[in-house]
Amino acid sequence: MGPSFEGVVEKKGLKLDPRTKFALLIVVSIVMMSGSMEGVAYIMRVVCALASFLLLLSVGRVKAAIIYALLLGSAVYCEGFVLPRLDGVTSLTLMIISGVISRFSPCYMMGYYTVSTTSVSEFVTAMERMHIPYLITIPLSVMFRFFPTLSEEYSNIHDAMKMREITIGRVGLFSYIEYILVPVMMSTVRISDELSAASLSKGLSVKGGRSHVCEIHMRFPDYFLIVLSFACLVTFFVA
Amino acid sequence: MKKGFDVKDLINVGVFTALYFIITFAVGCIGFVPVLMVFVPFLVPIVGGIPLMLYFSKIKHFGMITITSVILAILFFVTGHPYPIFIFCIAAGLITEFVLKAGNYESIKCCVIGSSTFSLWLLGMVIAFFFSFRENYFNSLISGYGEAYAETLMAWTPTWVFFAMIAMCLVGGLIGGLLGVKVLKKHFRKAGMA
Repeated sequence: MGPSFEGVVEKKGLKLDPRTKFALLIVVSIVMMSGSMEGVAYIMRVVCALASFLLLLSVGRVKAAIIYALLLGSAVYCEGFVLPRLDGVTSLTLMIISGVISRFSPCYMMGYYTVSTTSVSEFVTAMERMHIPYLITIPLSVMFRFFPTLSEEYSNIHDAMKMREITIGRVGLFSYIEYILVPVMMSTVRISDELSAASLSKGLSVKGGRSHVCEIHMRFPDYFLIVLSFACLVTFFVA
Repeated sequence: MKKGFDVKDLINVGVFTALYFIITFAVGCIGFVPVLMVFVPFLVPIVGGIPLMLYFSKIKHFGMITITSVILAILFFVTGHPYPIFIFCIAAGLITEFVLKAGNYESIKCCVIGSSTFSLWLLGMVIAFFFSFRENYFNSLISGYGEAYAETLMAWTPTWVFFAMIAMCLVGGLIGGLLGVKVLKKHFRKAGMA
């Protein structure tokens, strides 16, 4: 493996091709978000939830994997055993919360796995191999890099507001939204300028070829997982 | 006006699409409460319109909005919305593109109208409740969230609501756009950022 110039690349554990990760991400999202809870679709859900868990373990993110398992476990437990015994508003609230967790957490974890184990360079190279035009690839890769930054910015703003005791109750909903949105937008503009400067110095351009040092290959686990995810998708839509 | 894209444009597309997606997603989450679901096409454009106006002020080329709409469609498809989202997103993107072009990417009035037409993509998100998708969707809701939830939602979404939602998108987008102009004037113009 060549040296990596951008970002921290996970070296240990199972290394999958970015294309495989995308296939898995898409399948997990489709199955988890739109699947019903009966029959084959339910088995698919279990498989997908398990896949996210195992992949997190495979790159040594044990803590994240355990938190995820506990969260999902308690949500499923709520849906299965606690909810039938409750009724009224409590039941509805609990149902919505556990419903959101049991639907979103596997996708979220798969997304976390994909983003945290793929460097920008690998991502762009994989997109290039799939013949996706630059006009889509560059904004997408910027987005992947930008999501974590955005959540960091948000939590900083949140802290600053907490320090000055600014809450929804005190300033009203509209001002509250403004107080969050304006700094986020400010930093968005700044980050976009900084990224443009950085990309200029890295020689990223719309025209002209791009060379790369990172190697991406399809290996046996990749083919295996891609075939598996396609099989999953086909059974999901047929059944 | 320069022709063609440079990297800066594409980076702007990336960051602003990310911001818009996050805001849409955050506001859209209130849709889990069945009654509020009906108003999501109204609320999302109001909040989303603010960053959208900042984005519009950065646009100088034909095509950037279309790329944004394609990316939004991909992201929402991946997060479990049915395929018509592609049609609605791209159509809304193209309409907005022409609206902005009519104002030569400078007119504030056209930007506000653009914010309103761009919000039409939300119809792709709610179309699962209507027409031929309705039955399928509610069946999956019943098995997922239980009868009570599905029935409340069903009672709140007769077919005419879809047409009301078109109006909601347009009006919400308009309000969002005007709010955006106000925020830009208040915070960004004097900082030289818009």
